[in-house]
Amino acid sequence: MNLIPGSFKLRLNGDNIPGWNRLSYERRRTVLRVGWGSLLALVLLAVLFPIFWMWSTALRAPKDLFTTPTSLFPQEVTLVNFTTILTQLDFPIWYFNSIIVALGVVLLTTTTATLAGYGLTRLDIPYKKTYARTILFGYMFPPILLAIPMFIFWRKIGWINSLLGVMFAEMAVTLPFSIWLMWKFFQTVPESLEESAMVGGASRFRAFYEIALPMSKPGMVAVGVFSYAVSWTQFTIPQVMLVESSKWVLTIGLFSLTIQSQILWGKLMAASALALIPSFLFVFFLQDYLLQGFRAGDIG
Amino acid sequence: MSNEVMRNDTRRRSSKQAVFEALSGKWVLAVLTIVPALLLFAFVNIVPIFWAITGSFYEISAYSPEWTFTGVQHYADVLANPELWASLSRSVVFASGAVTLQLVLGIGIAMLINRPFKGATFIRAIVLLPYLTPTAIVSFIALWMANSQFGIINQILAQMGLIETYIPWFASLDFAMIAVILTSAWKWTIFVTIMVLARLQSIPDGLYEAAEVAGATKYQLFRDVTLPNIKGVIFIVVLLRGLWMFNKFDIIYVLTQGGPRSITETAPIYAYEVAFVETQLGKSAAISTLLFVMLVTVAVIYFKTLEPEQEVRVE
Repeated sequence: MNLIPGSFKLRLNGDNIPGWNRLSYERRRTVLRVGWGSLLALVLLAVLFPIFWMWSTALRAPKDLFTTPTSLFPQEVTLVNFTTILTQLDFPIWYFNSIIVALGVVLLTTTTATLAGYGLTRLDIPYKKTYARTILFGYMFPPILLAIPMFIFWRKIGWINSLLGVMFAEMAVTLPFSIWLMWKFFQTVPESLEESAMVGGASRFRAFYEIALPMSKPGMVAVGVFSYAVSWTQFTIPQVMLVESSKWVLTIGLFSLTIQSQILWGKLMAASALALIPSFLFVFFLQDYLLQGFRAGDIG
Repeated sequence: MSNEVMRNDTRRRSSKQAVFEALSGKWVLAVLTIVPALLLFAFVNIVPIFWAITGSFYEISAYSPEWTFTGVQHYADVLANPELWASLSRSVVFASGAVTLQLVLGIGIAMLINRPFKGATFIRAIVLLPYLTPTAIVSFIALWMANSQFGIINQILAQMGLIETYIPWFASLDFAMIAVILTSAWKWTIFVTIMVLARLQSIPDGLYEAAEVAGATKYQLFRDVTLPNIKGVIFIVVLLRGLWMFNKFDIIYVLTQGGPRSITETAPIYAYEVAFVETQLGKSAAISTLLFVMLVTVAVIYFKTLEPEQEVRVE
């Protein structure tokens, strides 16, 4: 396959750099290695600098914020932004609401998806293919396209401005992929153990409860982490569903601070830093599980 | 242990057994396991689509629960409104820009870290961070870094002599769209990286060795071994991420709310504005329905070409 037609060929190779071949093998290897290392450093810088800048801003005193040129590190480290948001703003309420919604979403999603995963792999029921297609189709839906009709519907049943309403709405994002994940996961759990337990006289439900369920734990953790990430980072659905500031979750509560005429950057960055702490913990403790959740694609 | 306790214990166990027995019938178990998910899925994923379609034929205000039938009026209005077409083309610009950038950077980074090196696990964990950072917070940091008076980006660029006056990136008619696309790349490049990385690691080393023995250059290795192997992943990324970026709401809304002067008002932002600023829910439902139709078209292509449902081995 030739990407560039015609006689012109782009060679991303050292061979056509004048003098390259006169360098010794070790020299060439060093050059390549330094080049590779600096590219990697550049990527890390691009990933980490915004997060560093958030912390650096959060730990500054207000007067240290609006001086140019700004120093890379705070002149003096102060926690004043953190104490202000924790005492003056509705921040603790928003944080609490976010936790409640995330817990609800994780519990409901993990339970229903695990049950469905078992049923879909182990039981011989009709229309499986239709079911698989419908679920995948549901997984393709962007939150905004569901949120607007949901608003119309939720209003009829009194779920606007309620955390319960947000929980169920967010499950539109978490559920399809979670069912899919558990469906695939149960296929990797060997059925022979359950079969031999059943041959040994155990009922089917007991085989499910005492053998299949414990073995599906890694899948359940993956689903749990995935649904936590969706719920904690979700902006669109709460923005549409929640009206009163006492019901807001973190993402939309903090957003309300950015559309004021004077943005309190120090406090906003401090609040963002606190909102990110659970994510940092997840990255370092649950790496392997996260990779499974990745295929989910659209989070937040 | 006394006899009494033992007898109680046996009785309790046998009653538990009886419950288990009762729950073991095929249809009982099917109802127990599949039906909750089915109901919930129908409730949150299927029903809203019907509400969107039904609602699009009515006049619905955001303030009153009354519905007035208007027929296809909303569709006629919306389709005749140049605002819709402008917002659709902005969606195309944003989606193609974002997907291209994410794809190029994502493949690049995947190839960069697809080799054993000291601290590989640590670095792979670090590049995961944007994935778990809420979009809203990514956007706050971007807004602060690009601030027109004190933003670090303006300071650095000015110090390097690249700009003379500070640029209000997200409020600038020239740069707002580019700035939003760049922010989206920071957040979502890692998805492409992970998908490509998984594919790269499944390419047998023997292919590369054979090509090297045959005297292939590094570029030829990429073109003739790597690229054909990751073609499938690239297709999925372009299709699915393109679809999602086309309908992306949160990052654009937090960064610009569609401004300045509607320059970043993509189709989903337009639908949101119609619903909650113009408070015309029925009209907004009509726009949502039109976007659904486009989504279904892409979905049909996805299912026809890739048959993803085969992954769960349904016969």
